[in-house]
Amino acid sequence: MIALKLVPHLVAFFGMATVALRGATRRGMLAGTALAGFLVGTGFAVVSTGSVSGQFSFSLVRALLALSFLLFCAVSFTALYQSLGGSLPVGWLERLSSRPVSRSCALFLASAAAGAVAGCRLGPAVPSWVWGALAAAAAVLVLAAVLLESRLPAGLSTSRAGYLALTVAFLLFSASWSTRLDLFAPLTMKVMKFTHDFVHQFFESMLIPDHLFIHSYLWGYIGLLFGKEVGFWGGLIIWFTPVVMVFLAIGLERLPSVAHLRQGAQRRRVLAEAIRTRRMRLVLPGLALVLLASAVYRSLYPSVEYWDPKPVPVTANAGGEIFLPRKGEIDLMDGKLHKYVFERGGKTARFFVLLTPSGKLTVDLDACAICKPDGYGQAEGTVLCYYCKTLIPLETVGKPGGCNPVPVPFTEQDDGIHLSGVTLINTWSGTVQSTTRTTEKGK
Amino acid sequence: MAVATIETSGLTRSYGEICALKPIDLSVPEGEWLSVMGHSGSGKSTLMNLVGGLDRPTAGALVVGGQDLSTLTEDGLARFRREYVGIIFQQHHLVPYLSALENVMLSQYFHSVPDEAEARHALERVGLGHRLKNRPGELSGGEQQRVCIARAIINSPKLLLGDEPTGNLDHKSTLMVMELLKELRAEERFTVVMVTHNEEVAAWGDRTIYLTDGVLVREERTRS
Repeated sequence: MIALKLVPHLVAFFGMATVALRGATRRGMLAGTALAGFLVGTGFAVVSTGSVSGQFSFSLVRALLALSFLLFCAVSFTALYQSLGGSLPVGWLERLSSRPVSRSCALFLASAAAGAVAGCRLGPAVPSWVWGALAAAAAVLVLAAVLLESRLPAGLSTSRAGYLALTVAFLLFSASWSTRLDLFAPLTMKVMKFTHDFVHQFFESMLIPDHLFIHSYLWGYIGLLFGKEVGFWGGLIIWFTPVVMVFLAIGLERLPSVAHLRQGAQRRRVLAEAIRTRRMRLVLPGLALVLLASAVYRSLYPSVEYWDPKPVPVTANAGGEIFLPRKGEIDLMDGKLHKYVFERGGKTARFFVLLTPSGKLTVDLDACAICKPDGYGQAEGTVLCYYCKTLIPLETVGKPGGCNPVPVPFTEQDDGIHLSGVTLINTWSGTVQSTTRTTEKGK
Repeated sequence: MAVATIETSGLTRSYGEICALKPIDLSVPEGEWLSVMGHSGSGKSTLMNLVGGLDRPTAGALVVGGQDLSTLTEDGLARFRREYVGIIFQQHHLVPYLSALENVMLSQYFHSVPDEAEARHALERVGLGHRLKNRPGELSGGEQQRVCIARAIINSPKLLLGDEPTGNLDHKSTLMVMELLKELRAEERFTVVMVTHNEEVAAWGDRTIYLTDGVLVREERTRS
């Protein structure tokens, strides 16, 4: 099972190593660097998830991935700008990056990031045999990368931007196999939030006319901006823009001047060679495009099985109090999410009870204050908001704010949990229901 | 002394038990026009096919333009033909549904990239500037052969091979084609190997070799 879990990460590492060796002179040294980087990254992630807060390790690795994506954006923009004839004062950077030592450092960092993703997926409790197997598998893959690279077509040339595109795509593809490291879902959420904030600020600035006759039409259109699709499509554009820029940059590269060549056939031969090289350089970004697309697919349809029990109907006693026994048909102390539904006066509230890693029970609405109340599922030390795909670490469940489930006041006694039905209904109506009303109006 | 474009040593080609070309030692200096004569089945076309990289020798050494053709892979041979050789066939082998211009551009396409202006210029050089859009079926035999010449020289070959290029032409067209080849050779300075039955055509060359039953029996210098 563990081995299967690691397959996509090892594949990504193998791909990265193969590409990094392309055109390199000291392949043995580079291969060793890649292996060392991968093992260091894995070790760091495994140790830190065990010793420091698990959330810290995931946040750190995710920040590293985001940083690599930003670097990719910057490099692709620079490449496109230069292809269009612009000049930027980055000559020193290009000279620096072409040095063998820079290549080794870049490969070490990329391999370490790949290793860290794999390490986060492994988690803190790793048997020693898994360590050995992982190290052996990584070593074999590095050797395979050396062999494969030597058999690749000689004409398969790479560009710096293309190499970076594929390396980042491999990292993001690898990360997409872990819901806590996936970058696409948070990206769509950020886009959605930005759009919401932007529209809100726009409205606040009185830039949207609030006339009686156009009011409903206008809100109908504005309602579109509050849909989930805005985040998805916006995220998709940001996700693919850098690789598309690399495509454009390579496609728009100027062909060499052949005016000095007297013979027509020679001129055509030089042009044909340049066109062929340019075409071959599109292979890496093309592969990156496929990997990024598959990362989006993984993000949308993760293979993780979310624990999402059917809400159990509960009633209140004469005093309006809901009681949930600590140990009964449902064991509240098993660390799983337990959902309930309560109905009173035609109003319904969904909530769940969860034992947090700190050993305390928490009662929360099965909804947050900002999203449509699609509810939460539980997996990999987190709960996931089904609407915006935000992952909330179990440590923070019970704390208010953002997309966290809205906490509900309750009292914990030896026999179980007591909470007020009125408070529950009022909490739901006061926070969640207002969001639903707005959406329904938008429809 | 000129560098040899073609150098053979013991060059042999057999098809099963039939030996089409018995060991031949031949040296063709750069820029020479060599005519190859002989009766049907004497091995003329076999020799031309070997020299042009269209066939492989059974034995012996064959070096053309400094490349040992017997050691080249199929891809290597294709590259050699593409970049080094131009061939004119007796049967033209033009693509019937392409215009004269497109037939020439097709050769450019397989060599590198098409360039219409250059193809147009090549056809103008062979006197077909007014027949660019005509298909082979709309051209006379002599005109078709001139399209073939334009197609053969468009990629600036170092070696031009002709397999009975005037075999289907009348006397007037033959003279026109030979005159054209002579002019082009003077400008482009390529080496010519031309297989022919016709003594008059062979006389356009610098040297003529005679083959009989795959054996080089005689050679004579036709022009000083």
